[in-house]
Amino acid sequence: MVNLLLIFFIVTLFVCATAIRLKTFIKAIACQGLLLFGIFFLRLNEINTVNLVLLLLETLIFKAVVIPYFLHYLIKKNKINRESDPYISNFTSLFIITFIVMTTFYLANTLRGGVFGNIYFVVSMITIFTGLFLMISRKKIITHVMSFIIMENGVVVLSLTVGIEMPMLVNLGILLDIFVTVLVLGIFANKIGDIFKEAEVGHLERLRD
Amino acid sequence: MKNRNGLILIFLTLALGAATSFVAFNALMGRNFEFVLSGNTILGQIPIRIDALSAWMILIINFTFTTGVLYGTGYLRNYNTSANLKLHQFLFFVLHLSMILVCSIQNFIAFLIVWEIMTVSSFLLIIFEYWKKETIKAGLNFFIQSHIGVLFIIVSFIWVMSQTGLADFNAVRLFATHQPGAVAITLFVLLFIGFGFKAGFVPFHTWLPYAHPAAPSHISGMMSGVIIKLGIYGILRMLLLINSNYIVIGEIILFVSVFSGLYGVILAIVQHNLKRLLAYHSIENIGIIGIGIGIGTIGLGLKNDFLAVAGFAGGLLHILNHSLFKSLLFYGAGSIYQQTHTLEIEQLGGLIKRMPRTAVLFLIAAIAICGLPPLNGFISEYLIFSGLYSSLKSNSFAFSLFMLSVFVALAVIGGLAMLCFTKAFGIVFLGTERKQYHVEPKEVSRMMLFPQYMAAVMIISIGLFPQLFLQLLKNPVALFVPDILNSSNGIFSYQSGILTQIGFIGIILTVLVFVVYEIKTLTGRNKINSVSPTWGCGYKTNDPRLQYTASSFVKTYSNLIEPILSMHKDVAVVNEIFPGNKQYSTHYYDKLEFYLIDKNLKWLKKLLLKLNFLQNGRTQFYILYGLIFILLIIFISYGEYIWNTIKGFFKLF
Amino acid sequence: MSFILIILSSLFFTGIINRTKSILSGRKGPGIFQPLRDIRRLLKKGSVYSETSSFIFKLAPAVYFSTVFAAALFIPFGENRGLISFQFDFVLFAYLLALGKFFNIIAALDTGSSFEGMGASREALYSMLAEPAFFITIGSLGLLTGYSSFYQIFSSIHYSESASPAIAYALGLLASIVFLFLGIIENSRVPVDDPKTHLELTMVHEVMILDNSGFDLGVIFYTGSLKFALYGGLIANLFFLSSPYAVINILIFFSLQVLYASTVGIVESFMARLRMNQNPQFILMISSVSLLIFIGVMIVIGKI
Repeated sequence: MVNLLLIFFIVTLFVCATAIRLKTFIKAIACQGLLLFGIFFLRLNEINTVNLVLLLLETLIFKAVVIPYFLHYLIKKNKINRESDPYISNFTSLFIITFIVMTTFYLANTLRGGVFGNIYFVVSMITIFTGLFLMISRKKIITHVMSFIIMENGVVVLSLTVGIEMPMLVNLGILLDIFVTVLVLGIFANKIGDIFKEAEVGHLERLRD
Repeated sequence: MKNRNGLILIFLTLALGAATSFVAFNALMGRNFEFVLSGNTILGQIPIRIDALSAWMILIINFTFTTGVLYGTGYLRNYNTSANLKLHQFLFFVLHLSMILVCSIQNFIAFLIVWEIMTVSSFLLIIFEYWKKETIKAGLNFFIQSHIGVLFIIVSFIWVMSQTGLADFNAVRLFATHQPGAVAITLFVLLFIGFGFKAGFVPFHTWLPYAHPAAPSHISGMMSGVIIKLGIYGILRMLLLINSNYIVIGEIILFVSVFSGLYGVILAIVQHNLKRLLAYHSIENIGIIGIGIGIGTIGLGLKNDFLAVAGFAGGLLHILNHSLFKSLLFYGAGSIYQQTHTLEIEQLGGLIKRMPRTAVLFLIAAIAICGLPPLNGFISEYLIFSGLYSSLKSNSFAFSLFMLSVFVALAVIGGLAMLCFTKAFGIVFLGTERKQYHVEPKEVSRMMLFPQYMAAVMIISIGLFPQLFLQLLKNPVALFVPDILNSSNGIFSYQSGILTQIGFIGIILTVLVFVVYEIKTLTGRNKINSVSPTWGCGYKTNDPRLQYTASSFVKTYSNLIEPILSMHKDVAVVNEIFPGNKQYSTHYYDKLEFYLIDKNLKWLKKLLLKLNFLQNGRTQFYILYGLIFILLIIFISYGEYIWNTIKGFFKLF
Repeated sequence: MSFILIILSSLFFTGIINRTKSILSGRKGPGIFQPLRDIRRLLKKGSVYSETSSFIFKLAPAVYFSTVFAAALFIPFGENRGLISFQFDFVLFAYLLALGKFFNIIAALDTGSSFEGMGASREALYSMLAEPAFFITIGSLGLLTGYSSFYQIFSSIHYSESASPAIAYALGLLASIVFLFLGIIENSRVPVDDPKTHLELTMVHEVMILDNSGFDLGVIFYTGSLKFALYGGLIANLFFLSSPYAVINILIFFSLQVLYASTVGIVESFMARLRMNQNPQFILMISSVSLLIFIGVMIVIGKI
């Protein structure tokens, strides 16, 4: 069952790659939050109940509700154009992401043993690489932020790899979540909108000395 | 006078073909032919062995040469230079003989001699229209690259000869069994590169798209049909002899072949020139043959008989199939060129009304090359697919994934080939002409049509009765997988049974089409069937320029592929309010060729320009060079003596 | 057996789609058998042929129909084999459909009109992109069951026997979704193409048959429904129960066809047609999802 949720997780990554409207992107991230909730529930049923309930609540609230709401608010407030312009066309990026999926599975299989053969590790690697790729290939700042959120989802899945033995690691992953929400979205994007009128990544170069 | 010369050549080709085919057919059935010429001390003994593999190739060569000579005689009738013609015909015969000898001789040096004769004669045949500059450039390109390939082959042969001291092909077998694995693999890679230049694997393919359009059409057809298959023959022969490390070798072949197949068809789609399109397609089909051979080899390595049989049978059958439909396509292109004097797809159109028989033959070949049932292309692709699919259930995930990607690549290649040939057939033959023809094209002569009919009959019969041809393949495949001759091994009969069913379905399909068509004609007899211009959505002036052009047909595709290809756009900027005539053209250039060849050539030219001072035309300098060379030789031969003297001199201190 | 059922269901398939769409837009809509009456009317009419077209134009509908008809012979019916069945027959299945498409494309180019050329080029590209999806899905199903022909694969999909039945069921569901979308793509429905309009932006399949008339057009329409019913038959096979009563399976078959048709109608009503240059990546997404099916199968068999 967990494997099924992980497969749907990868499907959301595909959706992100081909998303043209920013709303689709946000919906995919919200879906990822829900799927992570399900994965947490099914995988971590051996740790302390209070801890578990906290984790579940946090995942559900932060990932699936708060962050998408924040992103919506940002888009509306800064009147960002609702389409994402990619540097690399959507077709090619979908192709590249499929390639990433295949290669990661292949590599994980050749490095059998220990943590590498674990499917959570593979999925987390895929997510992190996809997030990196999306960060490189999109123009807007808001998509930059959203790819960072995807990457950070990947880190949370990574923490699940050994989550049963070390529940502290999962807690750290969740702290990263909260960090991202507060810092990036609360402070960064709010203020960025005041300084840069058209939110393009290229304009960040002006921050250079 | 001309006609008689052509007849002599036809007679000679048929005679040679018949004689060798008789021997070859026997060998195909299992009775090998062996004849040892006792050469002199330099060459050693020259064995001429025709086993099942050589027999298969010889039969294909004979068939293609027969169709070629018939077509060529008709095609060349329009050329007036009789001396050139006689030379051409002589070289044709020499080429035929040398190719048969290449497939039979198994002595290193004799093999190289015959290989060289073949290269030289095909070069001279290609530059038939020597008054055109591009023809000579293309021919020289072919010549030089063939020799680079031969260099690799010579190096590998010398290596084997120096280690084993024998000059027979079997020496390779001795060499491979006594040496460690990595050495055998290196030997194979060298031979693969050498033969790969001839076969047209990527990245050794750059001569193909130039040579094929430049040569006259019957030569192009034969080049694509059999000359590049000699490269495959070389690889197969070496594969038989180096019987170790099959898995690694197989993976190398597979990797290069998949790349060639995809690259060839991706570039084929965006070509403007019909013959260049067909040339790139040959690269793709060589890739498909390579995929078959690759998975066959991997099957041998994994001791998976089914995989091995499927791979080799598919590859060998595709050699036959490809020679058939590619030569047919080139003959069709030649007919088009003869009648319209242009090969630019964008300027053709509507030829089906004027040259109906050529169109039908071209259509049959186009359907076959896309691998669609009920014709023969599907049979060989099916064999390869069955091998790939059966290897999906293996124990290693990596291997399954690899096989799956090859599987998908083959499906994509088929789909892209369909895109390419709907464009080629559709734009050239259908619709109306896009530029006015100077001379009204007519159907070509019967002499040119007859060999095309021969090839088409073979294509259809292989498609509808594949089990017969599979039986013929039993012995060549048995060379690789000796186990199948064992009567308890049922793989062959199993595949045979499946293929019978496929052929049967093909027959049903054809019958069904006729039935539906007849129903339509019968019921339509009482109704009004009228003819009117194509519906143009209300436009009054129906212009042939409104039709889709070839570039627009593939535009959606080329938009997607743009990162891979390098495109040159000649854009005319519109600046004025009432612009005059502007031209806009796009040309696609081969990126690999650009990086591998053009850049290196530029660098080499620059380097050599610096050394230009050596060639200053004054005889005194040349004498000086000669003197320096003599002094150098003396110095080197006495080098050891001089060296010891110097050492002794220093020892005194 | 399946063959007869497919022909039967093809009679009302398009009708159900149209009816669903109309009901969802608030109208009553035409009857379920209306397309059949349309086809009968067309078959009786004479034809108008363009003066630029040749015998290919006249031959193509016959080829198209024959290929789909022959392909329908392969579909099995649960535990009974199709009329024709041998190992790796799905390759022949896919290539037969490709032969039909080939002739459609060149018939479209035959008319010499720019509309058909546009439709032909798009159709060629989209069918090329959709092929891997079919092959990978059938390949994965074959891996799951260990067999390699349609009949054997579908007769041995016993979901409860594998290691984790939930994921096997889910894979079946995912495979049927892939087939659903493949059917939509191949028959050029929303979101890939809109069969109702003849505007330039939306033309893929509908425009290729712009010049056909009379008997040809009737044959082509019928073949379209037949192709849809074909894909529906494939999906239905994924859900058969192994019971001795054939009636139960027949009921499942018909209900699945109806479900498939109404799903297509619902998808058509609620999804906007994609921009034409977004189509390639949509089709590629279907292929990538099928790759995920392959990985899922690998997980189920335990190879990862």
